[in-house]
Amino acid sequence: MVSSGPRDEPHRLGHDAFLDEVHSFEFWFQAVEGYLSDHPYGCVAGSDADEPEIAEPRRDGLITTLCNYCVGETAALEAASSMIAFAPNRRSKIFLATQVVDEARHLEVLLHRLGQLGVTDPEAEVDRRANRSLLAFKRRLLELVAARDWESAVFAQNVILEAMEFTVFSAHAQRADPITAQVLDGIIKDERRHMGFGENDIGRRLLEAPHIRARLATVRRELDPLVLDCFERTLEQIDVPRSERPDLGRRYLASVARLGFDS
Amino acid sequence: MNDPLLDDAVESDRPRQRFVLEETGFDEVPKKYRRFYRRWGGPSDQLAPNEVLCPVCKVVIRSTRELRVGDRVYCMPCMSRLVVSMSSDGSLEAIVSYG
Repeated sequence: MVSSGPRDEPHRLGHDAFLDEVHSFEFWFQAVEGYLSDHPYGCVAGSDADEPEIAEPRRDGLITTLCNYCVGETAALEAASSMIAFAPNRRSKIFLATQVVDEARHLEVLLHRLGQLGVTDPEAEVDRRANRSLLAFKRRLLELVAARDWESAVFAQNVILEAMEFTVFSAHAQRADPITAQVLDGIIKDERRHMGFGENDIGRRLLEAPHIRARLATVRRELDPLVLDCFERTLEQIDVPRSERPDLGRRYLASVARLGFDS
Repeated sequence: MNDPLLDDAVESDRPRQRFVLEETGFDEVPKKYRRFYRRWGGPSDQLAPNEVLCPVCKVVIRSTRELRVGDRVYCMPCMSRLVVSMSSDGSLEAIVSYG
């Protein structure tokens, strides 16, 4: 291969410069421009014009799934916006501001998709179809946020919830109708930042203050049954064969395992 | 961890291969960084000597030079710092470095 200059090679940045870059609003703006411009409500403009009708019971199952995605996105929207007030540094505050925008967009595109599927009052439908475990997870997450417990809130939201969403949305996008798949693909690209922020923030904190591990392990034990119930129900709804579920479960658990929390 | 800013001066015996990076359609980072990443094609996707898979978000990280054990790379899509390591099957893998 011919040699090329390393101009703009991100791997040559110092760690602080890298962190400043990727946590900035400027980075976020230029990143989302790549995959969201000319994508009204998460789809290539006009691609949803002649969508064939989705037959029952597939349509009804999709509505239930999307309603529960809305619950998760609302939880993250409410939590992330409140966490800005007690985020420990400027980078985290700015990053969370970008996450808030992402979560609001996710909620908006999912509600819009419910409307396209014929749901006349999407918000009421979300309330009707919300999974109890997911609602319990949301309540607990917001309690951790109200207690201004940074580590527990980041762990619950950006590690556990985001890792579950990343895994489920990726599996769903591979099986979904073309419009839903486009909507999910755009969300997945945002989720990469959210879960990466969480894992790296908690990883750094565990190195600096190993005593927080016990507190996070308690949070994990408390949330695990709720998350696993949501995970299992959603995989069922999106028709993931039973044979593929253990692998998806491992993918979901990989981030907590890398942080040293055993299954 | 090998810092690419410093280690050119202390390279070992065999010079590293250099690579010209083309755009791959990856669109999740600002334009100037896009050629340093590409989508992963799954387990059958064979990585080049200048590539390593991010274990956090499953994006392929690319460098303009051949990667070696100990090199530091960054995954911008998920904001992770990684160190290149040798996996049990002899291929290069990336390990997250939180410190």
